[in-house]
Amino acid sequence: MEIIEKIKTNKSDDILTEIQKICLRKLQSSPLPNPKSELWRLSNKSKLSNFLDYSVNEKDSKFDIPYPKNSQSTIRLIIGENCQIKLIEKNYSIQQLSDDELQKYIKEQISFFKQNENWSDLLNLSLSCKNNILGLKINGSKIPPIEIFSHASSNSFNAKTLVIFLEKNCDVELLQVNLGKENSSLSQSTFFCLKENSSVNHGVVSYGEKRSNLLNSLNVIQQKNSAYNLGSLHFKFNYARFEISIKQSAGNAKTNIKGMQITKKDEQISTYTKIEFNGPNGFLDQINKSLADDKSHAIFEGSIIVPKIAQRTDASQLSRNLLLSNLAQIDTKPQLEIIADDVKCKHGATISQLNEEELFYMRTRGITLTEASKLQLSSYFQEIISFIPISKDKWDLLDKLLNEN
Amino acid sequence: MVNENLVKDVVKEPYKYGFVTDIETEKIEKGLNEDIIKLISQKKEEPKFLLDFRLKAFKKWQKMKEPDWAALGYKKIDYQDIIYYSAPKQKEKISSLDEVDPKLLETFDKLGIPLTEQKKLTNVAVDAVFDSVSIATTFREELAEHGVIFCSISEAVKNHADLIEKYLGTVVPASDNYFAALNSAVFSDGSFVYIPKGVTCPMDLSSYFRINSGDSGQFERTLIIAEESSSVSYLEGCTAPMFDTNTLHAAVVELIALDDASIKYSTVQNWYAGDEEGIGGIFNFVTKRGKCLGKRSKISWSQVETGSAITWKYPSCLLLGEESVGEFYSVALTNNLQQADTGTKMIHIGPKTKSTIVSKGISAGNSKNSYRGLVKMGTKATGSRNYSQCDSMLIGDQASANTFPYIKSQQPNSEIEHEASTCRISEDQLFYLQSRGIEFEEAVSMMVSGFCRDVFNQLPMEFAAEADKLLALKLEGSVG
Repeated sequence: MEIIEKIKTNKSDDILTEIQKICLRKLQSSPLPNPKSELWRLSNKSKLSNFLDYSVNEKDSKFDIPYPKNSQSTIRLIIGENCQIKLIEKNYSIQQLSDDELQKYIKEQISFFKQNENWSDLLNLSLSCKNNILGLKINGSKIPPIEIFSHASSNSFNAKTLVIFLEKNCDVELLQVNLGKENSSLSQSTFFCLKENSSVNHGVVSYGEKRSNLLNSLNVIQQKNSAYNLGSLHFKFNYARFEISIKQSAGNAKTNIKGMQITKKDEQISTYTKIEFNGPNGFLDQINKSLADDKSHAIFEGSIIVPKIAQRTDASQLSRNLLLSNLAQIDTKPQLEIIADDVKCKHGATISQLNEEELFYMRTRGITLTEASKLQLSSYFQEIISFIPISKDKWDLLDKLLNEN
Repeated sequence: MVNENLVKDVVKEPYKYGFVTDIETEKIEKGLNEDIIKLISQKKEEPKFLLDFRLKAFKKWQKMKEPDWAALGYKKIDYQDIIYYSAPKQKEKISSLDEVDPKLLETFDKLGIPLTEQKKLTNVAVDAVFDSVSIATTFREELAEHGVIFCSISEAVKNHADLIEKYLGTVVPASDNYFAALNSAVFSDGSFVYIPKGVTCPMDLSSYFRINSGDSGQFERTLIIAEESSSVSYLEGCTAPMFDTNTLHAAVVELIALDDASIKYSTVQNWYAGDEEGIGGIFNFVTKRGKCLGKRSKISWSQVETGSAITWKYPSCLLLGEESVGEFYSVALTNNLQQADTGTKMIHIGPKTKSTIVSKGISAGNSKNSYRGLVKMGTKATGSRNYSQCDSMLIGDQASANTFPYIKSQQPNSEIEHEASTCRISEDQLFYLQSRGIEFEEAVSMMVSGFCRDVFNQLPMEFAAEADKLLALKLEGSVG
């Protein structure tokens, strides 16, 4: 595994930034995650070593976004392309974070990191060079939608980092797109800080090509009265992990998550979420859908942590899974850890295949089995897709899911 | 806001089984090694196959590590500081109940378990186990008329060695886990039940386990075999005196159901839970598993867990036979500093198998109550179904309730449904009941009872009444 060798041998290179050095130090004693730990025990070991088996790509080739066409009303940014942005308009401003701000925030985050739990972030930050870190400060309202791209080049390992501060009372729609190329690995870490009264509709769409791998980590800190809505979709990856960690730092915040992962062939895609309530009156509504076909494996593990301080928390989590083939498998583990007594928490999980009665009904009305299955699937997908901002009109996600193999 | 002190008072628990019976006992020295195992085996006059079984298990145990994945915290157990065999001294052979030490009979009378047949409980045969040995088994003749074998496992080793050799360790192999291996090496007594083909057991069978010594562990082993088209309902109860040291209880229960057979296994576990500061109490590490081997066989576990300082227990079903059914109904109440990590495993292997899980957890005081369950659909389990429901109730803001359901499916033509919720006693409901003139304490008790009703409905008559009383007792305090 080239990456692990690089981590082990990299002692005190002068080119390295301070953050890289700190993360490397944390990783060097045990560069790989513990395969027996709850977070990694279901992860396919050979796929993980394949993910780590490329050399680090430090200079990106020019990247053409294949699709869709940019409309004038959206702001489009590509991580790694040295994009300089400074937009100061009447109602809003979007600026790059200064080096100091960026360093300070990331360092603060790292201080809480544990080797195993935050392995993906540590790996990302130790390999992500300065050019591949994008820090933004967003302020104001009536901001045009923002699209941020992150991509991997073929035959290489790519680490990209995104840090976003959402200032007080700010309201924005943001779509993050992670694209994997053939035979590539992408490590994407995102840090989101929502200040008081801010709100964001965040979309994460990740899709790859043949044998592309993704390690996508998302860390969100929500201050009081903030609202965080996340719609996510992961498909077409040989191996992908989506790790979400959301902290309501003082409670009184709202979180809505609708996520979906689709696996085919021998792919493995997993979603891990950890939602912590560190104050009273928190709200969470989460739904995660998986679909596993062929010989693939889909995993969902979600934990909700409600300590004593988080009275009057209202949290619900639902895991819905479709298993479409005899050789595919699905693992799901919704999990609640509660100490506060005045709370409403619930979770549910189902695993089944397409509803036979509904299929039969449609067939009696003259719809073919293929069409009927497609109809059912599109209703299953639509609930999530309609929650992903910006993409609705121009990304044709539904079409991609139903018609591409 | 519910008055916190009132709640605290209400959940205070008096433990009425905490007395020690002053009786002469025969104990072997502390510690665990091959010689001790040989000594236990020799004392019980066991055949060679069983000694080999024990020694093999001991070798495996030595290579194993104590599991640490459960959400439990307890001080390390010193396995060399435990007495592995302790028995009340008595005459060599007991031919009738009259020869049992009256003190022992008195002990069981105190516990509400009359062993003298005249005072028979409504149609229940009892096997009473005191520390490491079985004291008496009632109604044996009546059961024998139907061909039912109900005796202590040591007797079964002597009289039905073929059955023991055939089935012992087939459901829970010695290498299954750390505590099962320990039990396989040192198990002392327990119950053995054999229901022949086509027989519906004429009465409920019951085992009563009592730990009396403070320094000896209890390692009982239960084996129940239900032949084709037979059925049995088995009840298990347990208590222990109050000591300020922790006593280890590591039991193994194995159930085997063949074609069309059904086994109902009910437990009311009321081991001593330790005092309010968490001193003393039983460490309860139990492996219970049933194998639905035959077609249309059924195994149903119901349990009311109110005792023990630590509970580590996952009664499970291996659903092998076509159309076999597994059920798990559980109420777990934790108070003070008790910790429970309990749940079930439903492993669907055969086609058209069904399982139902209903788990109710109530945490009060500073306790920790976790549900941990696994539902697995194997590749051949076509047309199988599972339904799980786990509800937790929190009383007071120091208690914690966790839910860890593991769900795994490899069979598209099967359905799994799981739901869980956490709540506390609703103030509106309490207010409503109080406004109708019902005392606060009684209202809490009524609501807890209502919360657990789904499970209590599954318990056999005598137990349902006992369980309801037990919960009320645990929730009854100095108020009123």
